[in-house]
Amino acid sequence: MNSFRKALIITLILVLISPIFGVILADSVGFHEPLDLVAEALNLQDWSESLNWTPLFDYTVPGLPAEVGYIVSGIIGIAIILVIGLAINRLASRRKD
Amino acid sequence: MHIPDGFLDIIISAVTYIASLAYGYIALRRIRVSRNSERISMVSVLAAGIFATQMLNWPLPGGTSLHFVGGALAAIMLGPWQGFLTIFLVLLVQCLVFHDGGITALGANVLNMAIIDVVVAYFIYRLFVKKFGARNPVRVAAAFLGGWLGITLAGAACGLEIGYSPSFPYGPGVALPVMTGWHAALGIIEGVITALTVVYLTQRAPHLIFSEVGDEK
Repeated sequence: MNSFRKALIITLILVLISPIFGVILADSVGFHEPLDLVAEALNLQDWSESLNWTPLFDYTVPGLPAEVGYIVSGIIGIAIILVIGLAINRLASRRKD
Repeated sequence: MHIPDGFLDIIISAVTYIASLAYGYIALRRIRVSRNSERISMVSVLAAGIFATQMLNWPLPGGTSLHFVGGALAAIMLGPWQGFLTIFLVLLVQCLVFHDGGITALGANVLNMAIIDVVVAYFIYRLFVKKFGARNPVRVAAAFLGGWLGITLAGAACGLEIGYSPSFPYGPGVALPVMTGWHAALGIIEGVITALTVVYLTQRAPHLIFSEVGDEK
């Protein structure tokens, strides 16, 4: 259990520093996903961009600066993963009737 | 490597969804049979860690970037079933919560990163350790090769999926070598990080390297 706690602390530290890479440095080199650039060059229609299903598009949070939104997105993502993992664990360890 | 919507035609999309669902069904059954609670708990913790490391994009001059994918690490630590579940969780949350990767391409993204990458890395690591013994030089070579080849073959699969979709005008003759070559280069970093992490874990927390324990379930 101790190593789980350590791993979660390291994970949170990674999320806290993530905007340095995912926002600040990415903006400095004009980063775009390579496949998004290819889609743009080939005029491929990404219909889902006009049919967005999440307010957290591209790790942003409406109303928050990009760096803070990136951190909040990271924490939300981790929380959702842990909740799903917990549910799977319960499901898998449940006795078969 | 996250394919967005718009690249894949409906047949490729359907085939990759079916393949991923079939593997996922078998994986869940195997996980349920094994009832290894510690290993299942490790799935979500490792998935959270990999999700965080994937947010650490290392920008490269020219406007692209690289980040750790983690499929090989998940495979070596947890095996082909829980390793799949780990990367699947990451991809599912990225797609549904952050719109990272297309919804029509989720099956292909899962097939590439949660199945091909994981299975290739797992079998390479197991083969090396079984044949040459669980020694550090062997672990380094096996984890590096697993990480590198896993990403390279996942990139090749991605190239085939895009290449055989009619919306991509250049076909597999262009998409396959471009995607394979690019991921073979990026895979070197993946291999190095995987090897360093595996060696660190075998020194500090060897009980977390389940693929060396020999419990295949």
